[in-house]
Amino acid sequence: MRLPFIGLATFVIGFVAAHFIVLNALPDYIMSKARERMTGSGIAVHAWQMSPRVTPETQTIVRPSPDLAYAICIIDVSGGPVSLTVPTWPEYGSLSIFDASTDNVYAGSLDARLPDAPGVRRIVVALEGQAVEPAEGVDVVVLAKPEALALIRRLAPSQGLYDAAAALVPVSTCGPA
Amino acid sequence: MKIGSALVGLFLGALLGFGSALAAAGIVGPGARFSGAVDVSGWASDWTIGSKAANPWTRARVARHGLLALTKEEAVYFTRNTDDAGDRLREGCDYRIKGEVMPAQWWSITLYNSESYLPDNTDNALSYDLTDAASAGGPASWLFDVSANPSASGSGWVSSRAGGNFDLTLRLYKPDADFIADPERVLQAPSIEKLGCGEAN
Repeated sequence: MRLPFIGLATFVIGFVAAHFIVLNALPDYIMSKARERMTGSGIAVHAWQMSPRVTPETQTIVRPSPDLAYAICIIDVSGGPVSLTVPTWPEYGSLSIFDASTDNVYAGSLDARLPDAPGVRRIVVALEGQAVEPAEGVDVVVLAKPEALALIRRLAPSQGLYDAAAALVPVSTCGPA
Repeated sequence: MKIGSALVGLFLGALLGFGSALAAAGIVGPGARFSGAVDVSGWASDWTIGSKAANPWTRARVARHGLLALTKEEAVYFTRNTDDAGDRLREGCDYRIKGEVMPAQWWSITLYNSESYLPDNTDNALSYDLTDAASAGGPASWLFDVSANPSASGSGWVSSRAGGNFDLTLRLYKPDADFIADPERVLQAPSIEKLGCGEAN
């Protein structure tokens, strides 16, 4: 009677341990692979990169929206906080930060029609324990791990609006604070 | 003998645990939902997407099928892969999607294949959105067709060509607060009527 019980007990232990170890590791693994693909395709760390207009040929991540213009900045705060400045947009738009575990840890509106629209959204991204001077109009995002991605979404369902969104990338910043 | 039994049990358990984790995350198959689910007339969502409140199954599934998804305060995502009759959405059939005012600042409906990518076609008809609805008569009552060939009805069209077994994702950006609080009551979910299927299908 004891032999099957021991086998069953270790089966359950093995199942639960493997299930949750794999499940908890997957988001970090998928995010790190996504960063690797981006850097492998020539996207530099701490530089805004406009994504091509979304089509079946240009899609690089799952479920892209063809109505939006995307720009991305790869962030690494291991050497200190990173500052981002992004102009607002006359339609729907957002600036968001995703941490190394894929969590959306920050989302700020870029919609210039909103009453409290700042004109230029400013944020500082820092690692836990890093000193950040508080400043008016600057949002602070604190990360548990140094790697993150910043993503701009701007509603741009036409080529003309996509081009207008692309023209804002050179005047946006993403670099050491 | 006891050690052998323990090792065999541990190995088999770990193997099954590994496989079930991949299945739950949607690495193999569609993935699993265990909590936080919102279902409005067959349109499924999860209010914990993108947030640290998400359970490990949701986090893994979203990482695989919805990387860089926003939290519900900024955007919510509904997905549906069956028509109003409960049949699987597929390229070989034609559908009509009808809807009303959506409780958000802006919305769109986009077609994705079973791998969560846009279908590999050049029809330039990947989605239907508030801009299309407004230009077609108004956001209060809108419709469009989903089919592998351009719609003959003259209404809006989203191409399912090369989509295989597909799904539709409804994105609602800057959703209304009362909708987030009570989605089943507030959202008048779009209907998906099957118009017919090709003979070969």
